[in-house]
Amino acid sequence: MSITGLVIHATPDHTAAVQSSIEACKGVEVHKVTDDGRMVVTIDNPDDGAAADTFESFKDIKGVLSTSLVYTHFEDHGEGEHVS
Amino acid sequence: MSITRRDFIKTQAALAAATAAGTTLAGTSVQASSHIDDDIRWDKGACRFCGTGCGVLVGTKDGRVVATQGDPDAPVNKGLNCIKGYFLSKIMYGKDRLTMPLLRKKNGEFHKEGQFEEVSWDEAFDVMATKWKEALKKKGPTSVGMFGSGQWTVWEGYTASKFMKAGLRSNNIDPNARHCMASAVGAFMRAFGIDEPMGCYDDLEHADAFVLWGANMAEMHPILWSRLTDTRLTKPGCEVHVLSTFEHRSFELADNGMIFTPQTDLAILNYIANYIIENKAYNEDFIGKHVNFTKTVTDIGYGLRPEHPLEKAKTGTGGKLTKISFEDYAASVAEYTLDKAHELSGVPKDKLERLAKLYADPNKKISSYWTMGFNQHTRGVWVNGLLYNVHLLMGKISEPGNSPFSLTGQPSACGTAREVGTFAHRLPADLVVMKEAHRDYAEKIWNLPKGTIPPKPGFHAVLQHRKLKDGVLNAYWVQCTNNMQAAPNMNEEGLPGYRNPENFIAVSDPYPTVTAMAADLILPTAMWMEKEGAYGNAERRTQFWRQQVDAPGEAQSDMWQVMEFAKRFKIEEVWPEELLAQKPEHRGKTVYEVLYENGQVNKFPVETITDNAGNVYNNSESKHFGYYVQKGMFEEYRMFNSIPGVPKKGHEMAPFETYHNARGLRWPVIDGKETLWRFREGYDPHVEAGSEVQFYGKPDKKANIIFAPYEPAAESPDNEYDLWLSTGRVLEHWHSGSMTRRVPELYRAYPDAKVYMHPEDAKARGFKRGQEVMVQSRRGEVKTRVETRGRNKPPMGLVYMPWFDAGQLVNKLTLDATDPLSKETDFKKCAVRVVRA
Repeated sequence: MSITGLVIHATPDHTAAVQSSIEACKGVEVHKVTDDGRMVVTIDNPDDGAAADTFESFKDIKGVLSTSLVYTHFEDHGEGEHVS
Repeated sequence: MSITRRDFIKTQAALAAATAAGTTLAGTSVQASSHIDDDIRWDKGACRFCGTGCGVLVGTKDGRVVATQGDPDAPVNKGLNCIKGYFLSKIMYGKDRLTMPLLRKKNGEFHKEGQFEEVSWDEAFDVMATKWKEALKKKGPTSVGMFGSGQWTVWEGYTASKFMKAGLRSNNIDPNARHCMASAVGAFMRAFGIDEPMGCYDDLEHADAFVLWGANMAEMHPILWSRLTDTRLTKPGCEVHVLSTFEHRSFELADNGMIFTPQTDLAILNYIANYIIENKAYNEDFIGKHVNFTKTVTDIGYGLRPEHPLEKAKTGTGGKLTKISFEDYAASVAEYTLDKAHELSGVPKDKLERLAKLYADPNKKISSYWTMGFNQHTRGVWVNGLLYNVHLLMGKISEPGNSPFSLTGQPSACGTAREVGTFAHRLPADLVVMKEAHRDYAEKIWNLPKGTIPPKPGFHAVLQHRKLKDGVLNAYWVQCTNNMQAAPNMNEEGLPGYRNPENFIAVSDPYPTVTAMAADLILPTAMWMEKEGAYGNAERRTQFWRQQVDAPGEAQSDMWQVMEFAKRFKIEEVWPEELLAQKPEHRGKTVYEVLYENGQVNKFPVETITDNAGNVYNNSESKHFGYYVQKGMFEEYRMFNSIPGVPKKGHEMAPFETYHNARGLRWPVIDGKETLWRFREGYDPHVEAGSEVQFYGKPDKKANIIFAPYEPAAESPDNEYDLWLSTGRVLEHWHSGSMTRRVPELYRAYPDAKVYMHPEDAKARGFKRGQEVMVQSRRGEVKTRVETRGRNKPPMGLVYMPWFDAGQLVNKLTLDATDPLSKETDFKKCAVRVVRA
């Protein structure tokens, strides 16, 4: 499994459109959108090497100014285990 | 409530992202974080890639790095990561990681034409030491050499430099930073007498306008770019000007984007200076008090082999400066009119004028950024200097927001290559081998006899390949860099040099790179978090990390390797009798004992290394050698920059322990406080009260404005080779790709290099997008595919090709023309043609 936390910065007048475009991508969740156009996003991907393609595709969405990756977790084992 | 591990990790990821975005998340299972994640140990580290120096938190579980996150407490990146930094945890775990030394053998013995076979460290070093001793005996210290790296940790560079310059008495040690930063260094020394930028990254928030000169920050320094973007979008009136020889991603934010003909940045900068003078916009008070006007020798050739026609044709040599008056300077730039700058550069006049007006506006704070477009330039020292001229004329320097800033490409090009002095002419803290007083000082600190360090600079990077080919340099060791792929003119210089039967080449690397595969001996290397380390970034910030995990198999750090190799030499084998007679106490010792068991390096006992939470960390080198090696090396190094009476002030650093507790500190560190802006009263404690500004690297404390004219490139397109070739990087890969191409996500995101070409140029040659083509120069050819769309949009007449791809070695094409002053190669300009494959 590969889980990513990232911040996408969109121009404020495109925020809604950008949010719906990225939410259409597989495994993507938008957790919060700030007033100045910053989105708190996570991506949950199988660890198949595709994560970078997903980030790259955000750049082509109209209104996206920058994509900043913050957190990453890769794990080959323990997937789905209940921890509490 | 039950929460799956997956949900939990996702919450962690969202929380980290929210912190980086400067916001909070309501209603998430925040409490979960405090007790579930006990099995991952987090500690601070520095990114392994570019010179930005982002702080990362490294998560380790069961002896393996499993997670990283942008360090929210790191002032550089404030929790953010670029895509390469994001995948950092994977760089150490490529499938083909080297775990044993490999020696070319035939019939059980070393053979230059043999196949690589696994050998022990003992056998590897026995064969290597035999070859080095043969060379030393036959031809002396100039026949041995080392090529190092701006990716070496601070103490690795220090250890290697001391081994070569003091131990083996050879100045033939140079870093790959020669390909990257040497022009910037040359210009700093000429203008200010002290290396590295006066400003810092805080300028990214203080500036009113930004100008990029030959820097594609959007792809190469993404975190700094995100800070710049924030300022541009939030500060009213802020503008961004971008200059390049082709359109790239940074143009997306540009208010004034300019594509210029290669090499004409020299003319544009002189035009701006001329505009400032003609409009009397210059800061008369500042230049009257703080600046000298000079001019440099011209027509100085192109750093090619002496028999090259261009070298025979030159009329000038070197970089001697002659003092001139302000009026002389004004007259020198007077010919660079708007018309002339436009004609040479091809940039529309209104755009040039807008740029000149910006610099000339006394009320605009301007930060200028540059990287390889300026540095990899046959007039790299000149062009760096021409930009300082503009900032100095306006007095826009050394204060928040007003900042000419040379960005770096490697994590410790500053901290190791430059500050430690691993260049062929340098010693620690800006000292140089050519000056007797500097050699004397180094010999005193190191307790060596006078005359140990040779006064003549050694072979620089490009010269090392030439000397290998010519059979002058015979025993050679490459660490922490992939120079066969990185150096210019591989077909004519690099490869024949390595495969010359007279030579023995050892390469230390974690992976079987192009360079390693061209060697005779490959030594497996511990990388990044497998050792305790320190890097120095572009804003003078020194950052430490602890060893997080152990290296695989028998891999050992570069420092371990140099120190162990030094044990193989008796001092009598490398020093003449007249030196030994001065210090008879060294007789009978090994080079290792003289250099590293000298009572200074081995002064600190092995410690249990812990973080503030009480986690315990390994330190492989200290365990092996029996003392705290990193601390000993660093504290001895500090005797060059931080004790009373050092020859050059202004490089002060804090004691070793301080850095393990700080998110880096920017030197000079005085009384525990870092310095953000140098040379300005109120910011820099070295500047005397009442003086406003002192460029104290120079004896009269004044900076040099240096006139230099436009001169053409070494090789320009002609009828036969009709296109300019510029090489460079892409966002996803770092340098030669030896790490990033082993991260599946990054490989997949940008698997193979391609040649970016204008659609009309492609059409004229009958190419379709994606078609296979041959790019040919006078020196070689490379098969690739045509790209007419995408992130880079070259103008007609220029193609761009990245160099990360070991399957498409772009440096078979490039010319080994260098700046004659900095010896740095111009990787941005040579002539090629593109034909059907």
